[in-house]
Amino acid sequence: MSPDPDVAQEAIEYCYERDWTDGLPVVPASRPRVDAFLATTGRAPGEVIGRSEQFDRECTVEQAAISAVMAGCLPEYFPVVLAAWEALMRDRAARGGGWQSTSGPAPLLVVNGPVRAELGFNCGGGVFGPGFRPNATVARAIGLIVRNAFGIRPGVLEQATQGLPGRWSICLGENEEESPWAPLATEAGQPPDTSAVSAMLLRTCEFVDNRHTQDPEQILHDFADTISRTGSLIFRDTSVGVVFSPEHAQLLAKAGYDRADVQAWFLEHCGRTRADLRRAGKDGVGENGVRHAGEPGGPGDEEFERFLPSTRHVPVLVAGSRNAAMSMVVRVFGVWSGEAVPVGGAR
Amino acid sequence: MVNSILDPTGGAAKASENAVLASPRATLRGATVGLLENTKQNAALFLDEVGRLLTDEYGVAAVVARTKTAFALPVPDALLDELATSCDAVITGVGDCGSCSASAVADGVAFERRGIPAAVVCSDAFAVTADTMAELKGAAGYRYTTTAHPVAVLTPGQVRERARQALPDIVAVLTGGVA
Repeated sequence: MSPDPDVAQEAIEYCYERDWTDGLPVVPASRPRVDAFLATTGRAPGEVIGRSEQFDRECTVEQAAISAVMAGCLPEYFPVVLAAWEALMRDRAARGGGWQSTSGPAPLLVVNGPVRAELGFNCGGGVFGPGFRPNATVARAIGLIVRNAFGIRPGVLEQATQGLPGRWSICLGENEEESPWAPLATEAGQPPDTSAVSAMLLRTCEFVDNRHTQDPEQILHDFADTISRTGSLIFRDTSVGVVFSPEHAQLLAKAGYDRADVQAWFLEHCGRTRADLRRAGKDGVGENGVRHAGEPGGPGDEEFERFLPSTRHVPVLVAGSRNAAMSMVVRVFGVWSGEAVPVGGAR
Repeated sequence: MVNSILDPTGGAAKASENAVLASPRATLRGATVGLLENTKQNAALFLDEVGRLLTDEYGVAAVVARTKTAFALPVPDALLDELATSCDAVITGVGDCGSCSASAVADGVAFERRGIPAAVVCSDAFAVTADTMAELKGAAGYRYTTTAHPVAVLTPGQVRERARQALPDIVAVLTGGVA
């Protein structure tokens, strides 16, 4: 006999009435369930793992566990939630005003290492999409922590102008098995085969579909065109990552490009001419680093302005299916910390 | 035994400090006024112009212009101390984004609690988040000055005009209506 759906409904509505949900039903958290989550970590329930200075609020391990339960996680996912949260707390924008921003940024969580297979994180087909419990619920748990532990709710302390699709739902397993390059966590300094989570905030994602050429330079130029849009430029510099599909990554690797080569190529080729920037009213840069319409008589129209200042501003990883040469450009809010947090080893 | 459903919020918000802001109002003539800009586009120019008008028209003796570089966060203690000890009143803003509008209000409340009258300037598009921050700081109904949204795209001439328009309310906030 199935559990009583009327009781379940009542419990779900109880959470809605208290304004604890992100709009979708949550799993009501019971003491035994939360204890099962807490049993997966050696960290004390009362340990503070995040602090909102502006609101004088804190998040404890136990509050994170309650949110993870509510998000629909299994207990064994909880160490990944803790690592993801720690990774976000190393992001300057997330520690500052990122969650309140008119930009409404979405965390991009990247899971590396054996934990992907152990827990069933999707790394392949449809990796940005729905359908996989670990990916969906770990990302959602982060959103419930921000909402409930920090009290940052849409339209009140969160002031997203439009927000973006995918907030609290983007958690990728890296497709290490089909990537020609080292895992992102290794790039971030973790030993090989470490289960770890990296995190950055995104403004949006945009696909590059290039099944049209095998020439690596042509493919990279196609990416550079998307990366170099003026619409997303706010400051003097910007940060844009690429989540390559295995096919694009393998094609580039076969042509002799390792990750650093691809990043160096983007640093050199991503940018716009002064004339392009002027046309968009973004050719001037103020003392605060913000772009604005410049004064007439600036440098020449043909001058090419690069705006990816370092490899950390163009993170590169591999995820998705090998079934087509289409990849995702991810526009980073702020800049990635460059760090990955080991699962189970977070401070 | 029936389990209860656990609360993810950590319980009720902490009890705030004294709810009433009772700092005395300022007399502008001969006063030193702090201008705390938050790096948002046009904020420095807006406050500079307010300072100039206060000097020319209200007899303010000196302005102390400072910048809060982390616009989303509370004013650092050292800066709060410096302005609170050297100024008779403080003007801060412009709250023109999701986080900086809330934090400008929090800063205004912090100055008031130090006994320094403070005028906070926010874009009118951020009233909900500004009001919510005031409530969180135990200062529900805290009065701040608004200027019409948007601010960032204005030309220097338009910014000065905005400062002129906001001036009477800023003066009223700082002086309690007695300039």
